[in-house]
Amino acid sequence: MNDSRVARPNGFDRRTLLRAGGVTLLGGAVLSACAADFGGDTAPGRVGLADEGTPLPDGVVDDVVLMRTMQSLEHTVVAGLSAMADAGMFSAAQATYIERFISDHVAAAGALGEIIEAGGGEQHACPNEWVMSRYIEPIFAAVQGTDDEVRDVRAVSHALETMLAHSYQHVVGLLDAPTHRRAAMVQGAAASRRSATLAVQSTAALHGYLGPDLAGSPENTSDGFPIPYAVPSTFGRVDQIEVVVGAVDDDGSRFSTLLQTPAENTFVYAYQSC
Amino acid sequence: MSPQPTLDDHRKDLPVNDAPRGIDNLDEATETGARDRRTMLVAGLAGAVAAIAGASKVSAAENDFTAAELDVLRFAQRLELTARDLYDAAMAAGATGAIWEAMSEQHEAYAQSIAGLTGLSADSRNDEVFDALVGAFSSSDAAEAAYDLESAAAATHIEVLGLLTHRPASQLVASIISAESRHCVVLADLTGRGTDLTALLVNDAQPILPA
Repeated sequence: MNDSRVARPNGFDRRTLLRAGGVTLLGGAVLSACAADFGGDTAPGRVGLADEGTPLPDGVVDDVVLMRTMQSLEHTVVAGLSAMADAGMFSAAQATYIERFISDHVAAAGALGEIIEAGGGEQHACPNEWVMSRYIEPIFAAVQGTDDEVRDVRAVSHALETMLAHSYQHVVGLLDAPTHRRAAMVQGAAASRRSATLAVQSTAALHGYLGPDLAGSPENTSDGFPIPYAVPSTFGRVDQIEVVVGAVDDDGSRFSTLLQTPAENTFVYAYQSC
Repeated sequence: MSPQPTLDDHRKDLPVNDAPRGIDNLDEATETGARDRRTMLVAGLAGAVAAIAGASKVSAAENDFTAAELDVLRFAQRLELTARDLYDAAMAAGATGAIWEAMSEQHEAYAQSIAGLTGLSADSRNDEVFDALVGAFSSSDAAEAAYDLESAAAATHIEVLGLLTHRPASQLVASIISAESRHCVVLADLTGRGTDLTALLVNDAQPILPA
C-alpha cells in the first residue's frame, strides 16, 4: 500500500512562501499610499538637452477660421499660378486664361477678407503654409524636370481650380451662418466655372464634356494622366483631386499626389498669422 | 518643348459626346432674343429676395425644416423639374446629343434629391417659368436659352442657400450650384463662346424668384 503523504520540511513550503510574498506586497502598497509627499519632479525623465516642445494653443474652428482658410487657399492658387506664369510655362493661349484667373482669385481673397473682418477676425492674406509645403512645392519640383511643360501646367491649373471648387462646397457644411455659406458658394460657383473652362479647353474635343460615370468616357489617358471633364458627375464633388506630373522616373512612374479639401491640419486658426 | 497640342488646339472640333444644333447662326436677332428671355426671367417671374427672406427667419434646430425653408426648397425643386421638362422639350423639338439627355436627367436628380431630403414630392414644375421658356428651348437657339436658364438657376440656388439654416439642405444646394455652374460653361462652349471669358466665367444672371 502506497502512502500518498509526502514528508515536508517544517514551516517553509511553497504555499507559505507565496502567502508571505503577497502580504509583503500588500503592505508595501499600503505604506506607499500613506507615505508623505517628499517632493521632487514627478514628470517622466528626459535624456539630453533638447528644447522642450511648445504646445499649440487650442484651435477653435468657427466661421472666421473657415473663411481665413479659404482666403489662404485663394492666395495659394495665386502663388501657384503666378509662379508658373512667371516661369513662362504657359502657352500663349493658356496665359490669357491664367491672367484672368489670377485677378479673379485676388478679388475673391479680397471679398473673403471683408467677411473675415466683419466677423471680427484678421485677414490671412498669404498662401496656406500646409498646402504649400505638402502639395504645391512637391508638385512644382516634379514639374521642373518634366518631359511636357504645357501638359503639366494645364493639369496643375485644373487641379488647383478644382481643389478650390471642392473646398468651397465642402466648407458650406462646416459654416454656421447662412450668409457665409452663400458667400462661399458665390466663390465656389466661380471656381467650378474656372475648373470646367480648363477642362473644356483641354480635353472636351477629344473626350467630350461628360465624365466616366455619365458617358462611359475614359478616366485616364493611355499614358495614365487623369482626364478632366467639364461635367464629371451629376452633383458637385468634394473628393480629392489626383495630380500626375513630371517625367517618368527610374521606376517607370511619375510624381502623383492628391489635393484635398481643408481639414484640421489645413485650417488657419485665429492664433496663426502670415 | 511640348509635343502636345496647346490649350486651345483641340477645341475647334465638335466635342465627341455632344452634337449641338442651331448654334452656327448666332446673330443679332438671337442675341436680342437672349436678352429678351433674360428680361422675362427677371421681370416676368421675379418677386423679391426680401419676400423669401422675410418669411424665412428661422429659429428651429438646424436639422429641422421650418415651414419657410420648405417653401424655399419646394420652389427650388420645382425649378429643377422645370429645367428637366425644358431640356425634354428641346430634345422633342430635335435637339440631339448626350449633353441634352444628361442635363435633363441631372435636373431631375436634383429635384429628387430635394424630395429625398425634405419629403416634398417631386411632382410639379413651375409652369410660369416653363411657359416663358419653352419656345426658346424648342427653337434653333435652344443652347443659348439653356445657358440663360442654367445661369439663372445657379444664381437662384445661391440666394436659396442664404436662406437656409438646415445644414444638410445647404450642402445639397451647394452641390447643385457647383454642378449648374459647370453646365453654364458647357453651354457657353456649345453656343460658340468657348473663348469668351465673360460667358465662361461670369454669371450675371438674376435669380428666378417667387412671384
